[in-house]
Amino acid sequence: MRRLILVLLACLLAPFAQAQGSAPLLHQVLDELGQHPAVRADFIQTRTAPALDQPQVSTGHLLFVLGRGMLWQTVTPFAQTLALTGTRTARVDADGRLHAMHGDRGVSQVSQMLQGMLGGKVDAALRQFDVVASGTSADWVLRFTPKQARVARVLTSITLIGDRYLQGITIDMQDGTRTQIRFASTRAAGALSTLESGALSAP
Amino acid sequence: MSTPGIKLRAGAFALTTLLVAAVGAWLLFGRGPLPIQTDLLAMLPATEQNPLAEAAVARLAHANGDRMVLVVASADDAHAKAAARALGRALAAHKVFASVAAELPPFDLAQLSAPYLAHRHWLLTASDRTALSQPGFDLAQALAQRLNEPFLTGVGVTLAEDPFGTLQHFLAAQPWNRSPLMPEDDLLVAHAGDQTQVLVTAMLAGSAYANDVQRRALSALADAEAQLRAHWPDVRLLRTGAVFYAAAARAGAEHDVHMVGWISTAGIALLLLAVFRTVGPLALTFLSTVVGVVAATTVTLLVFGQVFLLTLVFGAALLGEAVDYSIQYLTARANAGTRWQAGTGIRQVRSALLLALVTSLLGYALLGLVPFPALRQMAVFALAGMSAACASVFWLLPALLAHPAKPMTPLLVRGAHSLQQTLARPARGWRGAVLAVIVLALAIPGWLRLKHDDDVHNLIAQPASLTAQEVRIRAITGLGNASQFYLVQGADEDATLRHEQVLETRLQQLVDDDQLDGFLGLASMVPAMSQQTQNHAVFARWFDHPDSLRKTLADAGFRAAAIDAWLASWPGTPLTLDAWLRTPLATPFRQLWMGCNQHGCASLVLPQGAAGERVLASAAAGLSGVTLVDKPASVSALFGRYRGYASLWLIAAMLAIVPVFGWRYGWRHMPRVMAPPALGIALTLATLGYFGQPLTLFHWMALMLVLGVGANYAVFLFEGEPHTVDRPGAMYASVLLSALTALLSFGLLSLSSLPALRDFGLTLLLGIGFTALLVPVSRANLGPCHGDPA
Repeated sequence: MRRLILVLLACLLAPFAQAQGSAPLLHQVLDELGQHPAVRADFIQTRTAPALDQPQVSTGHLLFVLGRGMLWQTVTPFAQTLALTGTRTARVDADGRLHAMHGDRGVSQVSQMLQGMLGGKVDAALRQFDVVASGTSADWVLRFTPKQARVARVLTSITLIGDRYLQGITIDMQDGTRTQIRFASTRAAGALSTLESGALSAP
Repeated sequence: MSTPGIKLRAGAFALTTLLVAAVGAWLLFGRGPLPIQTDLLAMLPATEQNPLAEAAVARLAHANGDRMVLVVASADDAHAKAAARALGRALAAHKVFASVAAELPPFDLAQLSAPYLAHRHWLLTASDRTALSQPGFDLAQALAQRLNEPFLTGVGVTLAEDPFGTLQHFLAAQPWNRSPLMPEDDLLVAHAGDQTQVLVTAMLAGSAYANDVQRRALSALADAEAQLRAHWPDVRLLRTGAVFYAAAARAGAEHDVHMVGWISTAGIALLLLAVFRTVGPLALTFLSTVVGVVAATTVTLLVFGQVFLLTLVFGAALLGEAVDYSIQYLTARANAGTRWQAGTGIRQVRSALLLALVTSLLGYALLGLVPFPALRQMAVFALAGMSAACASVFWLLPALLAHPAKPMTPLLVRGAHSLQQTLARPARGWRGAVLAVIVLALAIPGWLRLKHDDDVHNLIAQPASLTAQEVRIRAITGLGNASQFYLVQGADEDATLRHEQVLETRLQQLVDDDQLDGFLGLASMVPAMSQQTQNHAVFARWFDHPDSLRKTLADAGFRAAAIDAWLASWPGTPLTLDAWLRTPLATPFRQLWMGCNQHGCASLVLPQGAAGERVLASAAAGLSGVTLVDKPASVSALFGRYRGYASLWLIAAMLAIVPVFGWRYGWRHMPRVMAPPALGIALTLATLGYFGQPLTLFHWMALMLVLGVGANYAVFLFEGEPHTVDRPGAMYASVLLSALTALLSFGLLSLSSLPALRDFGLTLLLGIGFTALLVPVSRANLGPCHGDPA
């Protein structure tokens, strides 16, 4: 189930790629996002849940390379780098070696689908979600709500906000869990380090 | 024998034939559906030492066999889904389907995790178990990592129910969470490229091999497909299932039977008319053949209860050999001219016919010793058919051939004579030996090029479009191929699951190394009790110190109520196989459990994707209680073994004929009588080598027939020639007539849709052709030498 949601989440990230949305704003946003095939950003992820009386906050760096995958590098409260490439999720150790992680196919699916979407598959997201776009092309909000009843029972909505770049993702679950990711200093990725390119070139 | 005696015997024979025909007709038509077997599995020999393995093969074949798996695909998502729904409704309207699954019943995602919740302290994935058992494992850090996972934590299982995510990981590894198919708009959908692919399955209300089920199901599908095409021209329909293969095999075999049957019948009729110049002999020849076919079919049905398609096709070709007996008798009559007396005629041909019959029967009887249902049935069919055809010559035909006949067409006899002279002349005296050496020298390079091919697919004609669709559907749905699997056995339920677990650890390694797409096995869904106990012990290390566990959770930010609920859920109960098998979730996987008997229990593990046999075998190597069952490979290996036996048998049979011929024809003449079949076989093998045709078991089976038929021709010529001294060439003409009829029927098999029958037909075409041309050599040194200028 978790994987289902992740896939749907990935579907909705499709708009990054290609401007085919019906609304003119959606069109512009997608057009702008599609200009950046490789980006780096710093992230803060905040998670609240009914079982938790304190929010979980983690910070780190994200590297996204079209066609190769995503590095999710958490710095606080612990140091961990995850490589999401194709169908795999792997932990990257300090020496750049990859350790496959089982049972997290869902997360890997995000990366896989995201790559597909960035290759130009906005249809997949529009199949799964109703999209409402608001704001201007310099300050926009895209709100995705599931069309499928079965999915709507676990996932309330996914909201993307941004300007030239994607600035934030908010995921609201029906069980009350909310995950907010905010990006800062988003920029073109430039050259990849040896570790980065090693981790993202894994089959 | 006196004429009344002949008449009386013929009458009795005719009555018996009618009786046999009536029994045969009742066996065929009087017992419900036609007892014609299209199930290829039924034709194949039992290859497994372990009877449980054979049972498993049958179980999987039927679980997968009695359903149609359809995929509706289109680049237009809405079209694909609407078409899939329409297809589901259209098929469901037909009674031939027991159930049609297109739209999913409403269900809650939570149903997938609920059966596991009470057992969560007993379940761990292998990697979690390893990580958690490490001495330096940092529980607080693991918890922080879990709570801060990117994008999402659990779905279906809440954080409070599964703070460390162990149940989440366990569930994520389950097959229903790995399938490429996902529920979407109440359909099972996979997206690939720009294509939306929707799965529709239909269970047949009967066996895929039952003729009427096949016909009704295919026509229902054809109707539905036509509707789809009219509404959504862009939608494509992929299909797979035993029913399609069986229908294709049936259609192919029917085509073969018609083609071989009718063309050879027409050809033989024309030949006989040309040689005997009256319709009478033609009718009698066919009468004798019909007697043979009726007897063969009836006996086969009596012995086996059903007829394989392969037998029918082979039987259609066998007509060409059965017709030989009556041809020999008819040529004897034609050659006797006005001196003809039916009784004397019989005595004249008796020894030749009996010798020929005995060699043929010997060959088929040996074929029947092979423990291979299809070959056995062909042998029984041939034994009964040939015996009956020969008996009809002895007992029925004399009564109908009391009067002398016109001699054989003189032009053809003269032609045969000059051909005989031309072929015999270079082999006269010592030149024969030189010629034999030259022939062998020409043959040797061909032999050296011979290769083998024992692939079972030679026996199974699978239309390329069907196999291509099956491959596509397997890629889309992740379904296994069902003919390769592991059989796991243990003394009891738990031992079986334990053995399975060891196997699955190895298979998982193969999956990680990209050598295997995946696998389906019970031990990953319900771990063995020893495994669960071990998992529980890992959890116990935390729960034995509830205060420290409470502190860890509280420090991570959990509310007190959530911590209390989590601590109260300890220890829970282990998951038992029985309980799990009863859940609705287990429905698609129940077939993996073979159950228990007094010898122990057994289960199946299905590898998914196209892994090589070597890779699959390596996973089972050295494991106790684990057997890789690979039906195609086992049958192929068996074919290879029998191919080896067949080649030895052929040599042994040739050596066995030597003393018989030596005794009857004298040791000086023996080599010349042996030469036609022996050299015919040698040349056939060489030609196959030059053609680059890999040898199969079926080539060798055909060579056995060549030996039998070739020896017959030599015998006919050797025995018959003294009776036709006044008609030079007449005996060779009759041998050529026999050869041509055989070529017409067996040769046409080389156009069959079944690779096995093609091989069989081609070998006979070559073998009988060479032998017929070599036969004159056998009498090259003897009289009658009439018309011989030398």
